[in-house]
Amino acid sequence: MKASKLTMRKKKEMLWGYFFIAPFLLGFIVFMLGPMLFSLIGSFTDYNLTSKMNFVGLANFKRMFFQDQLFWKSLYNTAYFVLFNVPLTTAFSIFLAVILNQKLRGISFFRTIFFLPAVLSGVAVYILWMQLLSPSAGLINTVLSWFQIKGPAWLFDPAWTKPALILMKIWGSGGAMLLYLATLQNISPALYESAEIDGAGTWQRFKNITLPLITPIIFYDVITSTIGSFQIFQEAYVMTKNGTGGPSNSLLFYNLHMWNKAFVAFDMGYAMAMSMILFFIVMILTFINLKLAPRWVYYAGGEQK
Amino acid sequence: MKKKLGFLFVFFSVLLILTACGGKEKNSTDATAKKADANGRVTLDFWSFWGSGARKDVIEAIIADFNQSQDKITVKYTYQPWGDIWTKSLSAITAGNPPDVIVQDINSVAQRAQAKQATALDKYIDKDTSKQFYPQLWETTLYEDKSYALPFNTDTQVIFYNKKLLKEVGVTEDNLPQTWEELEKVAHKLDQKKGNDYSRIGFYPLWNIGADVWALNADNGVSWFDRDGQVKIDTPNKVTALEWIEKWQKFYGRDTINRLEAEFGSGVSDPFISGTVAMRAQNINYYSSLMENAPDDFDFGVMQLPEKTKGSGHWSWGGGFVLEIPYGAKHAKESYEFMKYLTSEKVQEKFGEKSFDIMANKTANENLVKNKNLSEKGQMVYKMADDNFPNTVITPVPLTAPDYNSLVNEQLDQALMGSKSPEAALQAAQKAVTDLVKQNKTK
Amino acid sequence: MIQPMDKMSKVRAVPATKKLHSQKKTTRVKKIISYVLLTLVGLVLITPLLWMIFTSVKPMAEIVRFPPTFFPETINFDNYLKAIQSFPFWQYAKNTLFITVLVVLGNVLSNSFIAYGFAKLSFPGKKFLFALVLSTMMIPGFVTMIPQYVLFSKIGWVGTYLPLIVPAFFGNAFNIFLMRQFYLSINDELIEAAEMDGANHLYIWSHLMIPLTKPALITIAINSFNSAWNDFLGPLLYIQDQSKYTLQIGLQVFQNQSTTQWNYLMAGATLVLLPTVLLFFFAQRYFIEGMDLTGGSKG
Repeated sequence: MKASKLTMRKKKEMLWGYFFIAPFLLGFIVFMLGPMLFSLIGSFTDYNLTSKMNFVGLANFKRMFFQDQLFWKSLYNTAYFVLFNVPLTTAFSIFLAVILNQKLRGISFFRTIFFLPAVLSGVAVYILWMQLLSPSAGLINTVLSWFQIKGPAWLFDPAWTKPALILMKIWGSGGAMLLYLATLQNISPALYESAEIDGAGTWQRFKNITLPLITPIIFYDVITSTIGSFQIFQEAYVMTKNGTGGPSNSLLFYNLHMWNKAFVAFDMGYAMAMSMILFFIVMILTFINLKLAPRWVYYAGGEQK
Repeated sequence: MKKKLGFLFVFFSVLLILTACGGKEKNSTDATAKKADANGRVTLDFWSFWGSGARKDVIEAIIADFNQSQDKITVKYTYQPWGDIWTKSLSAITAGNPPDVIVQDINSVAQRAQAKQATALDKYIDKDTSKQFYPQLWETTLYEDKSYALPFNTDTQVIFYNKKLLKEVGVTEDNLPQTWEELEKVAHKLDQKKGNDYSRIGFYPLWNIGADVWALNADNGVSWFDRDGQVKIDTPNKVTALEWIEKWQKFYGRDTINRLEAEFGSGVSDPFISGTVAMRAQNINYYSSLMENAPDDFDFGVMQLPEKTKGSGHWSWGGGFVLEIPYGAKHAKESYEFMKYLTSEKVQEKFGEKSFDIMANKTANENLVKNKNLSEKGQMVYKMADDNFPNTVITPVPLTAPDYNSLVNEQLDQALMGSKSPEAALQAAQKAVTDLVKQNKTK
Repeated sequence: MIQPMDKMSKVRAVPATKKLHSQKKTTRVKKIISYVLLTLVGLVLITPLLWMIFTSVKPMAEIVRFPPTFFPETINFDNYLKAIQSFPFWQYAKNTLFITVLVVLGNVLSNSFIAYGFAKLSFPGKKFLFALVLSTMMIPGFVTMIPQYVLFSKIGWVGTYLPLIVPAFFGNAFNIFLMRQFYLSINDELIEAAEMDGANHLYIWSHLMIPLTKPALITIAINSFNSAWNDFLGPLLYIQDQSKYTLQIGLQVFQNQSTTQWNYLMAGATLVLLPTVLLFFFAQRYFIEGMDLTGGSKG
């Protein structure tokens, strides 16, 4: 009796499971699978969108690894960006969410302002940042000069263009901030109160209550931010005169190089090959992240099923 | 809790209904009727990026004229955002539903022809078609000796100068600098310093044209690739050009140049109008910007790019746009009729008059020089364009290495940063691009 | 279960009476520090927006001036009038709103639905399928852009809003992942209790989970509103008829091959920004309202 009831229950749960994820599966098969497979196949051809698609085996990959110096450069640029951008924007978003998670009058107003940079996209932002980063008259270097630091020629010096871009990205961390805020709102004030009664200081409360409880979101943020940062494109395209890659190709990111190959040289097969390599790299990194997660991510709801 | 949720749902549903009511017609699949209607009238889908201002008004007027003047073809103009129009058209060509006529960039015509993105026009043109246009424009629209596009408008690079400031140092229309050396002399006469900083700069070659233009100016009009498709980056003349630019940079100091570039490099501020820069090398269609944004009493003139040495030639560079029939367009014959209309003398003159674009039709440009509807300045600009065109070189994208630009720019940047000598930079660029050509050959 | 709290017990308790007095003072000082910090950070974050607004009221002659000014010297609301007249502003606004509302609806419903399956139910192949979800994030958009365009073209959806709206009802990786994280923070016992009461999972999802994850849902709503409202590439590719364009496309008319009309562009961009700001400002009320805390972390 007992045994069959269990299997029945498990079976039911299974069916429910598939029922719930069915929309995703359907959408994936119809809208994504075809294009994704096509990209995979295309990476082994000389596809140029309109006039040819001949099988060329590993030629694209060989060219990429052994002959295309810009491939390595763009990979380096992108890795550099990811390495600094992810931790810095994550930390800043958490910082913003924490200071916004207070019951102060007018906090809605502040929250709106802090969120705005994330919504503000497009030309205005880039123009303004170009001015803010101006070597002598820009705001950033002016502030630095108050501390007796001579700011670099941000967008002109190849060594400083990526940091300039990272600064801009940190500024726009509002989107992630929203997630942290939503999570922080969920934390019972009773927890903090009893901690305070026990004599815990601000930093201790943060480290031992806040931080563990937001680890699920940090996990989400780190993964999506890594995946997203590997695909940086728009900023470099707009700020470097339509895709030329900035001073000495210092802003030639992987996606930009791919774009040039696809739409300037019409070498779509090669671009698809590049996207496959990116996919591979990102997948490995995500896998590592997933494996490491149980060590530091804390789910209040119980064991991760 | 439930109440609030319910409210949200109601709110969204009401919003939805409101917008749906307002937009019931929107969900119809009707794009443009591509098939001829009952009267045998064909509707053509014409894409361009003229979304506002004079160009939009004049093209709409021209299209209205065309539609009224005959009853076989109706042209429908759809605005597409500048730059993105070509991504969209490429997608449409790939999917097999392209527009009927599109405005494209002239320098990549051969590249698109090779990739089967454009329809050949040899069936429709006649012997006189090519004669209407400036020869270098027509040549650029050929691929394997067949015509793939009709030139529409073009441009050239010249130097705009502030008449008032130049008069102060004794330079007028009659004694404009003709060579590099003369230009340097005049420029430095115009420099002004305030303490250690420059408050006015006479001229800086890279404001606002690229080093590639100076390279071809120095090298008899030969750009990075010559006419036979050979890589000609590392030549003595071009090294001289890069060294000359470096000399300017050293004179003013890299800090000053970077500072000023940061402030107006984004294209918002204009240092020429404010008198901070006395002479500015620029695309000749900068004229329309001056007309709109400069104060009425701002007096400026235009002159040719100087010769490297006397007699070496006032070589300049030009780009432009063409009219193309995308591959797979369903009414090529009618498309060509419309294109023919757009490139005819009167229509070209009409477009130029309102847009101040340099037109591809030679006679139209010559007429514009004398056109009474243009101001004196306007006529001056057209005269300069017409005079400058024999020296203007068009540089089609090399089919062997279409994306070579980032390789060259990287080296140029390094030379100007001081990490490499101009000679080493051009050598490295030559090697990198030659490699790229080799890579592409093995495809 | 609540491991972090264990560390608290190591801290020595402070006598109660002393606590009260110093508590009052520190709260006031803390408040001041908070306001100062918020204002400073706020100023830094808002500068580009200020620049945008200031530029939108300047006449072009002042915008091109060099050296550039920050605060406007002449204020000219004409730019806004001209901007609205330069393209069918209200028409495009209606179009954009239509698409956006549907996309938000689709996103909120589908992602919370799908994620429930991944977070709270077990079935064979779950790990693999979730990896599949993540994998869809990893391919750069423009590589699949053209094959997808061709796909939609073949089924006749090009020229309609369908490619922009329909996929929203089938979930997207980012939001599925996000909702999953929120669900995992909800206690399983809650679900088990409901099951024992005879509820099926559909009921549990719609009557228990949705209310419990309101902040997450609102976040998804806000983020997907913004992304749909500001979407440029999608509308660019799939809309053929000029009258069906969206606001982002309309704004492009101010940028042409040689010049940009900054005054109108900034005015237009400011107007386009308003709905997202207003939405966020008012949506906060639903954010703040405390959640049913037995669903969140236990005290």
